[in-house]
Amino acid sequence: MLRDSIKGRLIATVILSQSLLAAGLLFAGVFYTHRRLLSTLDAGMQARAMSVAALVRYTEDASGNVYFDNSLMPESLDPNHPDLFAVWTERSGLLVRSANWPSDLNLEHVGDKYWGFSWDNVPYRALRVSHVPVLDREEGRSFQPQTLTIVYAAPMIRLREQVRAAGVFIALASLVLLGVTVLLALWGIRRGLLPLRHLAGQAALVTAHRWDFHPAEEAQQIAELRPLTQSMTSMLGRLEHSFLQQREFLGNAAHELKTPVAVLKSTLQSLLHRPRTSEEYRAGLEQSLEDLNRLEQLLQWMLRLARAEQWAHGALRRDLQVIDINVTCEEAVERIRSLAQERNTRITLSTNGPVPLRADPEDLQLVWINLLENAVRYSPEGASVEVAVTCKDGGPAQVVFEDHGAGIAAQDLPHLFERFYRGDPSRTRATGGFGLGLAITKALVEAYGGTITADSTPGTGTRMTVELPLR
Amino acid sequence: MRVLIVEDEPRLAENIARSLRESAGYAVDIAPDGQEGLFLAQSNAYDVVLLDLMLPHLDGMQLLTRIREAGQHTPVLVLTARDDKESVVALLNAGADDYLTKPFDLGELLARTKALIRRGKGQPSPLLTIGDLELNTVNRTVQRAGRPITLTAMEYRVLEYLAHRPRAVISKTELLEHLYDYNWEKFSNVIEVYISGLRRKLDDGSSRQLIHTIRGQGYILQD
Repeated sequence: MLRDSIKGRLIATVILSQSLLAAGLLFAGVFYTHRRLLSTLDAGMQARAMSVAALVRYTEDASGNVYFDNSLMPESLDPNHPDLFAVWTERSGLLVRSANWPSDLNLEHVGDKYWGFSWDNVPYRALRVSHVPVLDREEGRSFQPQTLTIVYAAPMIRLREQVRAAGVFIALASLVLLGVTVLLALWGIRRGLLPLRHLAGQAALVTAHRWDFHPAEEAQQIAELRPLTQSMTSMLGRLEHSFLQQREFLGNAAHELKTPVAVLKSTLQSLLHRPRTSEEYRAGLEQSLEDLNRLEQLLQWMLRLARAEQWAHGALRRDLQVIDINVTCEEAVERIRSLAQERNTRITLSTNGPVPLRADPEDLQLVWINLLENAVRYSPEGASVEVAVTCKDGGPAQVVFEDHGAGIAAQDLPHLFERFYRGDPSRTRATGGFGLGLAITKALVEAYGGTITADSTPGTGTRMTVELPLR
Repeated sequence: MRVLIVEDEPRLAENIARSLRESAGYAVDIAPDGQEGLFLAQSNAYDVVLLDLMLPHLDGMQLLTRIREAGQHTPVLVLTARDDKESVVALLNAGADDYLTKPFDLGELLARTKALIRRGKGQPSPLLTIGDLELNTVNRTVQRAGRPITLTAMEYRVLEYLAHRPRAVISKTELLEHLYDYNWEKFSNVIEVYISGLRRKLDDGSSRQLIHTIRGQGYILQD
């Protein structure tokens, strides 16, 4: 569950890092407290050992012997577990040991300066000092001073208890702080994620009929959300564009299909309206068949456009082969020749050498035929149409179609390649066009990564330029 | 009655025209584009205009706005391929009287056209009654005092026009304008021939004359 939620992950991170911190703190705290208490204990033991040493006196006779004066012995650190001490002299060995010194404990030569041992389940810390007591030097008396060895041991029970208390305190404090931190983090994360929730709410409002997407000012300013809002905005823009395009295409297609259907329907209805002669029926049926052919043709054009646009959008292509653009142009000119002859139009094809391109020859032919047909149809009788294929080194192949017809009005130029667009409906209808030819041409050119542009001067002519990258 | 069809699809226009001529006996003019439609609508008297929306040169909406601006009351029935609410509302608000979406039924088109003509002339019922004369505009039959009268096509058309506007003086020119399409030579004495034929058939066996001549002005159909 934690993995599935940003909040969970963040909280887990917070808890983990806080726990690590607490553990570190606990260790450091306990270690430090232990060290401090131990050094305090050591200092105390040193002072006590020195006090014990100070109680060792030389006897009055000048023998240099020593004795222990018990009367000024300081109190033990821990009343429950009295300190242990023992003093040895250089000459006579054990001088004195505390009353509670266990008889079977021999510490005279054990350990270094400080060491620990356990006795009767009580941990002790021991200190060994060697000491030469400073003596009052009286007139006329001199003797060899004696070195004393003092072992002083104090129980560590209280120290251990204090360290444990410090550890418990630090652990509890860390636990409380951890709780507070988690709560704070929860609150902070919730606040921090609020813009994301707003964003989701806004995004949920977008539908196919309502494309407005207004991310809150906050969401646009937050560094982490900005890329998301930006890409969402641009994605929605692109989606809306293609959606509207699709809808427009559907609307246009429906509109274009309705007219031939209306024609067909009215023809058949008026045929049925009253009894007719067999000639009338025949004429009506022939008319209907003709209308049906037109409808079929329109459907074919629409399907061809849909396919071309699919290719343009990266759909799978059929097998492509390397072909010479010039050859496809020549074939297109051949296909359009009868129309050109009918209109007494001369088509000239010029080229500066072979231009190989990986393509489907039928696609290219369709492009050239569409452009040629337009050029021939909209040229006056007896005019000429020029086709020029050029290819500069490394640059794209360029095919230019130039006619000397009436040209295209400036307001129609930007819409020329739109589906179902007809600058002058009567003219295109008269020539059997559906307003799809140039849209298909454009889609095919774009499917090969190329561009098509139209320049026209009304009254002078039109120039269509196709550029195809040779890849 | 005379109908103007403004439709750029010639086949559709021809089918509608044939149907109107054959089943309703109307005179029909066809304009293949908006410009010609506007010219015909302004220079002739039509009883109804059937208007396509997608037209070359001048689209249906513009044409509609123009003839309404010019103060013409001719009922307009719009033929449209678009049936979304917005465009229908825009059409009606621009002055259209009715609309039909393509592809439509010819019978429905005919019925709507007749209804628009009736309403345009203030006759809500398809059964027109003047005194004891009864005219059924649906199946184009005429009775006087229960007696069926057989009329020629042209005689019926004259009577139908007169019956749509009873008690009004209707000139020969008006009759000519509303009964013949653009391609006919118009001779006013033809009307006199039909009127006299009508009088003979309607008044046969009846003491009351229905069609009256107002000298120098025209005719009145009244009881």
